[in-house]
Amino acid sequence: MTDIPALAKRNSRLPVSTMAILALFALMVGLTMAGVINKYIQSVLMFIGINIIFSASLNIVNGYMGEFSCGHGGFMAVGAYVSSVLSVILFTENSFTGQPLLPPGSAIFLFPIVIIIGGLVSAVFGLLVAIPSFKTRDDYLAIITIAANFIIVTLINNIGAVGGSRGFMGMKKSLKAMEAVIDLPYMIIWIFIFVVLSIVMIRRLMKSTYGKGISSIRYDETSAEIMSVNTNHMKLVAFMFSSGLAGIAGGLFAHVMGFVNPASFSIFKSTEGLVMVYLGGMGSLSGSVLSAVIFTLMLEALRPLQILKWVLIPLMLILLMQFRPEGLLGNRELSDVFPKLKRIFIRKDSSNG
Amino acid sequence: MLLEVKDLVVNYGGIQALHGISFNVDEGEVVTLIGANGAGKTSTLMSLARLTRPEAPEVRRGDILYNGESILKTEPHELVQNKMMSLVPEGRHIFGNLTVQENLTLATYARKGETSEIEDTEDLVYSLFPRLKERRKQRSESLSGGEQQMLAVGRALMTGATFIMLDEPSMGLAPILMYDMFRALREINKAKNMTILVVEQNAKVALDFASRGYVLDTGEIIAEGSSDVLRNDERVKKAYLGG
Repeated sequence: MTDIPALAKRNSRLPVSTMAILALFALMVGLTMAGVINKYIQSVLMFIGINIIFSASLNIVNGYMGEFSCGHGGFMAVGAYVSSVLSVILFTENSFTGQPLLPPGSAIFLFPIVIIIGGLVSAVFGLLVAIPSFKTRDDYLAIITIAANFIIVTLINNIGAVGGSRGFMGMKKSLKAMEAVIDLPYMIIWIFIFVVLSIVMIRRLMKSTYGKGISSIRYDETSAEIMSVNTNHMKLVAFMFSSGLAGIAGGLFAHVMGFVNPASFSIFKSTEGLVMVYLGGMGSLSGSVLSAVIFTLMLEALRPLQILKWVLIPLMLILLMQFRPEGLLGNRELSDVFPKLKRIFIRKDSSNG
Repeated sequence: MLLEVKDLVVNYGGIQALHGISFNVDEGEVVTLIGANGAGKTSTLMSLARLTRPEAPEVRRGDILYNGESILKTEPHELVQNKMMSLVPEGRHIFGNLTVQENLTLATYARKGETSEIEDTEDLVYSLFPRLKERRKQRSESLSGGEQQMLAVGRALMTGATFIMLDEPSMGLAPILMYDMFRALREINKAKNMTILVVEQNAKVALDFASRGYVLDTGEIIAEGSSDVLRNDERVKKAYLGG
């Protein structure tokens, strides 16, 4: 089957980009370990990574599939709480089981699995939200997803075992247990790995014939159906994948913070996701990455303005909608906008394949 | 009998659109369903294609048999996957921001591992509609209305279906393009023994094209027969052929 460039963007997985990613990884871990970048910069870098997963995953549903989900923060909450509770029960002394269920040192292998389990449970919640999307779209789906966000946050608020509205903590101790075995900046490492994996997976899915079924829903759902796309099935896949990745972002977030409370995953979190997707461009993966970087840095840069920040950021969104409603990249990728990048990355690729 | 519709009652948007219609289409036949605006033509085709979107018509009674088996429980994508039928919807519904070639390729979504067959179909489509070949790399929303209609037909053929249904293919087309379109459809019918069901408001063109037809009026079939018979039917003459 011939490739459809507009649907599936660039054919990558190239040695040059792989090398660039490895170099960046080595640089970040190296600088952190050498103590060149301080804790603050480290945490900003980690939040950038988490926001990349969060916005790229929302882009699957809101960008590629063209639905309008506004409750992405809810899925992040599920992943955050599931992986936090697991991590605390398994690796640390806790109020549920007393002694850790597993030797604390095993966290160095099991930590990513705990994060992934959080993602899987989120994906199940995504499945529940996907079902109403069979019957409805647009504004109605937006309302349903907002409702789902509220339900999840309210539920957590009322589960005393995980601290209710006071929040839940103890995840730092899991990290300490890992550092006791080998002292490495684990969170930077895992966030980096999960970011790369998420991006590669989303890209591969959207490039595949199977994944084109998701974009065809955005273009024209009736046509998708009469072109043999099982639209209900594709919606399930897209929602589960999207919410699963949000859950992974949530798990990582919880472990960076060492503390989670339901208020962190309210409609404001979901709105941040929407801002990043629309800032970057719907259906543009590199747009999501770029906007997550810009947005996170902007939040930090505007921190001195305190509450005024929440006047300035929405204002920017209004300006964006006025002057560039398609977002920074529209539905193109960075390599379409800067052909130079394409020359570096793509030509190597075609000579290989 | 390839397709047999039995006493079909369909609701569309809360209103009964079809009050128990029956008709059939044989393999390799070209059949038309003619009727004015609101007669229930589109409801009929959408019911046959089993579209499941919320706004799709809902079958309340009756049955649709394909090769003797009911397809009421079949999903639309299954019909296309099994090459049972392919719909050219009203208003074309092409993927406007994709190129002509991408539209055609996307229609082969379910045809995995049929590379050479797909190539054959593509050659057929491009030979029937040379204009599409010239505009292969053009975004399809920039095509003229007639070319978009050709693309919609081409896309339906690309699914590999042996039975295609067309919803008002002549709508908005200049006469010359309209005749080209029907000529191409006749060629496919002859060359591939393609079964064609065409729904039309333009009774004259439809009856010239099809060998047999049904006249649909406010949700009921009021006349049927060969095209010659229908052409001379007083009611048809009066209502659709301008006296």
